[in-house]
Amino acid sequence: MSLRLERVSKRYPRPGGGWRVALDGVSLEVDRGQMVGVFGPSGSGKTTLLQIAAGMQRPDEGTVIYDGERLDEMSASGRTRFRRREIACVWAGQVWQRRLSVLDHVSLPLLVDGRDHHGAERRAREALLVCEAEHCVGMELDELSDGERQRVAIARALVSEPRLLLADGPVSRLSLIEQEAIMVLLCSLAREAKVAVLIADSDAEALLRADPVLYLCDGKLVNPEPASERGRIYRFPPARARRAAGDA
Amino acid sequence: MSAKHALLGLLLDRSAYPYELADRLQARLGPAWEINSGQVYQTIRRMAADGLIEQVDGPAEGRTDRHIFAITERGASEFERWFGDTTEAARLARRPLLVKITLAGPARLKDALAQIDVYERDCAERIKELARERERVPESQGLQVRADHVLLRLGLSADIFQLEAELRWARHAHEMVCWLLDREAIWPSGRDRADASGQESKDRRAAREELFARMAARHLR
Repeated sequence: MSLRLERVSKRYPRPGGGWRVALDGVSLEVDRGQMVGVFGPSGSGKTTLLQIAAGMQRPDEGTVIYDGERLDEMSASGRTRFRRREIACVWAGQVWQRRLSVLDHVSLPLLVDGRDHHGAERRAREALLVCEAEHCVGMELDELSDGERQRVAIARALVSEPRLLLADGPVSRLSLIEQEAIMVLLCSLAREAKVAVLIADSDAEALLRADPVLYLCDGKLVNPEPASERGRIYRFPPARARRAAGDA
Repeated sequence: MSAKHALLGLLLDRSAYPYELADRLQARLGPAWEINSGQVYQTIRRMAADGLIEQVDGPAEGRTDRHIFAITERGASEFERWFGDTTEAARLARRPLLVKITLAGPARLKDALAQIDVYERDCAERIKELARERERVPESQGLQVRADHVLLRLGLSADIFQLEAELRWARHAHEMVCWLLDREAIWPSGRDRADASGQESKDRRAAREELFARMAARHLR
């Protein structure tokens, strides 16, 4: 499995006229078992990038290829079906239905897919256990701390057993210890469950476990190195090389 | 650096027996240069074979320790080359104790703390010893001074300063490890984490293995 974005561009109309460029010719690739980080300041285009990767938006230009299938050419309903089957998203500041219980919230993707209630709950409990949030089962979403909310959000993402996980600021507002625990969990998802993980964050420290980390600035990937043999596809030096350069 | 260049420097002063060189090395540079006679003879033999020094009191046969050695022209120019070399950068120490602390993991962190305490006491003792030794070196007064005494005090001061820095670090390490022991820390190794907290239940591990295996298998379908 691989997700491949090639020269993807997206712009939005400004309220007063004219256009705001959100993405400008971005190319990247995420393979199974890989955790790729996208680092960039607020407003650099990270969320747009993830939404296009998730098939929630169509790019104005460029292609989004998932395992050989052109996601950008599918109809809206086709993209939704595809997303439900293959992709899970964890968004920062996700708006949740307030009065829902944690168990119902995590089961929901399976219930929408037509899974029976009992089976969906069993899977939800399993995902919560894996994410160390089993103590939240009986709670309502309103009662959760920030760290618990993120764990529950990841559990909900895992319950549909996706092959691609997209996370936008998954550790923002969390303590350092919580950040580390969540990143360890996402890292093991990539390593052990062979999920392709694409994470965007405006905190470079949060992306230390990602490899490679791509730098997004004003809708463009900043490439400090000459283009690799694969031309447009940007490949950042491995983490070990980055750490060595930092130590030097 | 090896003892080679220090020995060449001593032989530039005057020719000497190997055992005498070992004593002079420590007397001039301080206890950090304590070197056993076996090491000196080995170095002397190697230097003689390289033509840096030569035996000057008779035929070359017989025991190395019974002969006087002098520096050769080649040895003198090697010493000059080394002396003029300014490329030696400040080096960071590799502390075995730091490696132990870093790799101790939660299970052995308390043992590492005990080792830090021993190291701290050892540093304090050595500082006292060296300070006493430095006091024993006559302090030069008046216009005429003994350069070797002044420079030996300088060498001992270097050792004392270094140990003081080690002592400071050990105290800091003690504080940090105590602080860490009081916290719910996350360790790089999942095994350590599980051992420390006992929280990663068998159920969680089994659920995780099962779920991840199912997810990984999706790629094969």
